[in-house]
Order: sequence, then structure tokens, then C-alpha cells
Amino acid sequence: MRLTRLLVLAALVPLAMLIGVAFGGAAIAPGALVHALLHPSAGGDAATIVWQLRVPRVAIAATVGACLALAGTLLQALLRNPIVDPYLTGVASGAGASIAIAATVGVAPVLVPPLGFVSGLATAVLVAVLARRGPRLDAERLVLAGVSLSALLSSIVTLAIERLARGTASEAILSWLAGSLAGRGWNELAAAAPEAIAGALLGAATIPALNVLRLGEGRAASLGVGVVRLQWALLVASTLLTAAAVALAGLVGFVGLVVPHLARRVVGADLRSLVPASVLVGASLVVLADALARTLAAPAEIPLGVLLAFVGVPTFLVLYLRGAARAYA
Amino acid sequence: MTQLVLERVDIERGGRTLLRDVSLALGEGVVAVVGPNGVGKTSLLRAMAGALAPASGTIALDGIAVRALEPRERARRIALVDPGEPVLAALTVTDAVAAARFPHHRWWEWDATAEDGATVDEALARTELTALRERELGTLSAGERQRVWIALAIAQRASVVLLDEPTSHLDLRASVETLQLVRELAAGGALVVAVLHQLEEAAAFADRVVVLGCGGVIADGTPEAALTSDTIERAYGVAVTVEHRPDGLAFHRNAAPRAIS
Repeated sequence: MRLTRLLVLAALVPLAMLIGVAFGGAAIAPGALVHALLHPSAGGDAATIVWQLRVPRVAIAATVGACLALAGTLLQALLRNPIVDPYLTGVASGAGASIAIAATVGVAPVLVPPLGFVSGLATAVLVAVLARRGPRLDAERLVLAGVSLSALLSSIVTLAIERLARGTASEAILSWLAGSLAGRGWNELAAAAPEAIAGALLGAATIPALNVLRLGEGRAASLGVGVVRLQWALLVASTLLTAAAVALAGLVGFVGLVVPHLARRVVGADLRSLVPASVLVGASLVVLADALARTLAAPAEIPLGVLLAFVGVPTFLVLYLRGAARAYA
Repeated sequence: MTQLVLERVDIERGGRTLLRDVSLALGEGVVAVVGPNGVGKTSLLRAMAGALAPASGTIALDGIAVRALEPRERARRIALVDPGEPVLAALTVTDAVAAARFPHHRWWEWDATAEDGATVDEALARTELTALRERELGTLSAGERQRVWIALAIAQRASVVLLDEPTSHLDLRASVETLQLVRELAAGGALVVAVLHQLEEAAAFADRVVVLGCGGVIADGTPEAALTSDTIERAYGVAVTVEHRPDGLAFHRNAAPRAIS
């Protein structure tokens, strides 16, 4: 039964992608769309829009959704806390602060994405070091360190926006904060792909042990799980995945928090099905949300992060408050 | 036969030496470990499981130091049952017990085999959990949950089962049922070491009792030999009369207890 449900979720992804390619700022007639899709090198406006703009964008949206959902699922399982978001590790706030500082002091635009990536990872390392207790990662400390460092770094972003007043630089920061896929293409995807793939492979390798971790750290250890190694592998995997998503789309909230919950409703809590389900739901959700973001106010774009928050927050509240049973007994 | 041998083991927690110079050779049957709170019973059990390094001395299973065993290999041979740790409430009984098969798989073997299924079914049947197999742990009573942890130890197929206070928070009936399961485990050939608080339970269900106190082993032997007024007073600082009855030992606190030393 779980397999059937997974197959249904898998069928959602190409469907969402087709919608993502079909809709956008410029209207394309169905016939022209089909023709452009079947003949990539045919030329013409429709083919250019589809293959140069929409296909890469849909691919990026799917990657961002998959990465955030996977990172969220792994991190929630690691911390055994269902209200953990992948940004907790500080990747996003670290990247955001460095991008804000870069914009303030006028760093060359080409340097901004790698700078954001490196400082995001550096922040995650700092959070992990603060969360250490002996060789182990302490779940409570990780949450505390992540939340407090993120708060500090967000205030740097606010300060930068306030100082810059109304420059183009401040607009760049704001667009990053709002989360957007505007102007991203194959090059950006290629740059983020290695981290995403490495994070996904590392995360996937931990799945059986992660299932045992649901019984508690002590029990998992006595069942032969190398808990310390598992914790660090999960932290590295979720950090790489989040860094890839942040590099591609800026701050896209609530995907990493909500999607694992949605997927759990469909396939249950066994990570062997939950992880693939989260990846599929995350990819479909962000592709659809991005299509809406491009279409609703065309030719303007609604920031993706804002749109997802509008949809995501109420959904999450309803889900969480309805199922508000105690998580641990 | 499995041999768990402790030689001159010192146990330290938080910079303080709890137990000094513990030497025990454990072979079969049910061994009860009793002693006052904080004496180091749980730490000793965790050291036997390889979860805690002794400050000095060696703990070996069939001649191999338990800490030197590869984690999955160790888990195939030693099961540690700690009912105190919180668990995901939404986990079903079957999912929890199936986790016992993790050490029997290599890391790339994700799917349960027919043998896993049969082992889990058998463990559920022996603990009378078959009817509850799809229930979530959060909905179980304390006694039922305790049976889940014992089913997990059975499905783990370990020859050494270490139980930390298996009867705490259980009512009389659930305690007796749990201890009967423990006896069955030992009858099946396992060495069972259980930390117990109730001396009556230790006397009734254990083949051998180890009394801990004053930083070390006070007594070690059959229940009748190990649980005497003298050893109990030395361990707990409470004067007790031990009554030998046809159906076992009974313990009566003396009417006017002296100031606890």
C-alpha cells in the first residue's frame, strides 16, 4: 500500500512540472506548447520561452523543494523534534548576513553567491560546535544555538537594509530574503547540484539507522547504531542540502517544516518511505508554488517565499493543532 | 555457554568513583543486581553492555572485551533494555520490535527478510503482544510497553539480556508477568542480568543475587546466601529481618528502624 502511495506521489512530480512549464508570465497556446516541448531545437518564441526560461526554472524549483524537504525530514528525525526547520542549522541566516554585508560594502556581484554559500556553511559549523557535548550532538543545544545565532544574524541583515535605505543593493537583499527563482538558470543549477547530490546520498545512506533512532538514542546505540557518526552525517547532509537550496532560491520558508508533515500523513513515519515521499511532495509543491508566483500577478512576480508562507503557515497550523498529541511517551 | 566476565572493574560517573574492584563471572540464568539508589547499578549494567567504559578493569564476553566488539556485532550478542528512555509515541508495536533486527543486517540491506518477520512474530507471540501489534506505543499501558521492550530483546536474539529496572512503575500483576518472561528468556539459554528494586522479586525470580553497596560488591550468591539481614543492612543502612518461608524469602523492616547511616 505504501508503494502505491509513493507511486501516486511520484506521478505528481511530472504533472506539476508540466503545469510549471505551461503557465507563466507569457501565455502560450496549448498547441504551441506541445510543439515546443516535442521539438526543442525548432526555434521561435514559444520554444525559447519553454526551453530557455521555464524548463530550467521548473528544474530549479523541483531541486529546491526536494532539497529543503529532504533536509527537513532528516533534521526532524535527527533531533526527534517535529517542529524543526532546515534553516535551524544557521545556513540561511549565515548566507543572508554575508550577502547583506557584501551588498553594503559593495562586493562584486559575481562573488556574492559563493560568499553566501561559504558563510552559510561556516555558520552551520559554528552552530554544530556550540551544540556539541563531548563527541555527541545535543539536540536541545542545537536548537538553542541555531535559534539564537539566526536571530543575531537576521539583525545584521535588518541593519544593512536600514543603512542602505533605498539602493539597488538593498533591493537585492530584500529579494533574497523573500525567496525567488527569478533570473536563475542552468548555470546556477549546475553550481548547486554537487552539494545537493552529496547531501542526498549521505542522507539516504542513514535511513535504516534513522529508523532505529526513533526508539531513542540509548536504544539505538544498544542496537548497534553508531549514534555519534549518524548525528554528524545527518547534520552534514542537511546542511549541504539546505545550502544548495539557499544558493538557488534565497529564503524559501516552510517547505522544510511542512512537507515532512504532509508526507507523513500519506505514507506514515517509516523513513524508508517517508524520505522519498518528502522529496516528491517537496519538489511538486515548490514547482506549483513557483508557477503560481509567476502567474498570479503577471507580468510581476510574487516572491516565492511569501507565497509559500501564505499557503504553508495556515496548513501547518491546522495540521499540527489537529494532531496535537504528545510526540514522545 | 556465554560467559560475561568482569575483572577488577571500577565505575566512575561525573568524576566520582561509584564502584571499585568489581569482579564477577556470569554464566547463565537470571542474575539480579540490587542495591541502594545511586550506588551504580545502572552504570554497571551499561558498562556490561559496552555503552559505558569502565574507569579501569576489563569486561569481556567469551574472552573479547565488550567495548572492542563492533557495534552491530555487540548488539547481536548483548541486548540492553532501558524502559526509562522516551520513545516516539506514534511508533507501532511491530515497528518498535522490528528495530531489533537492525544489527542483523548489513548497512545496505534495507528490507526485512522472511527470517526477520518470523523472529518478530515469535517475539510478539511470546510476549502476548500479537493482538496489539498495530497499536501505537503512546496508547499502551506501562506493563504493555515493558513487554514491548522485552519482545525487542527477544527479537534481537542476543545471548546476554541486560534489564534496567524492568518492574518499576508496574503493578503487581504486570511485574509478575514481566519477571516470568525474564525467567523464560533465561530458560531459553540466555544470561539475564536485571537491576531490581524489590528484594522480594530478586529472591523469587533470580538464580543469583549481587548486592551492591559501599562502593563495591557486598554479597554475591544464591538469594538465600546473598540476601541476609547483615548484607541488607550493610547495603541500605536499614535493619531488616529475613524470614525463610517455604514459598521463598520475605523481608520485614524492623519495627523501630535506627537512624539511617
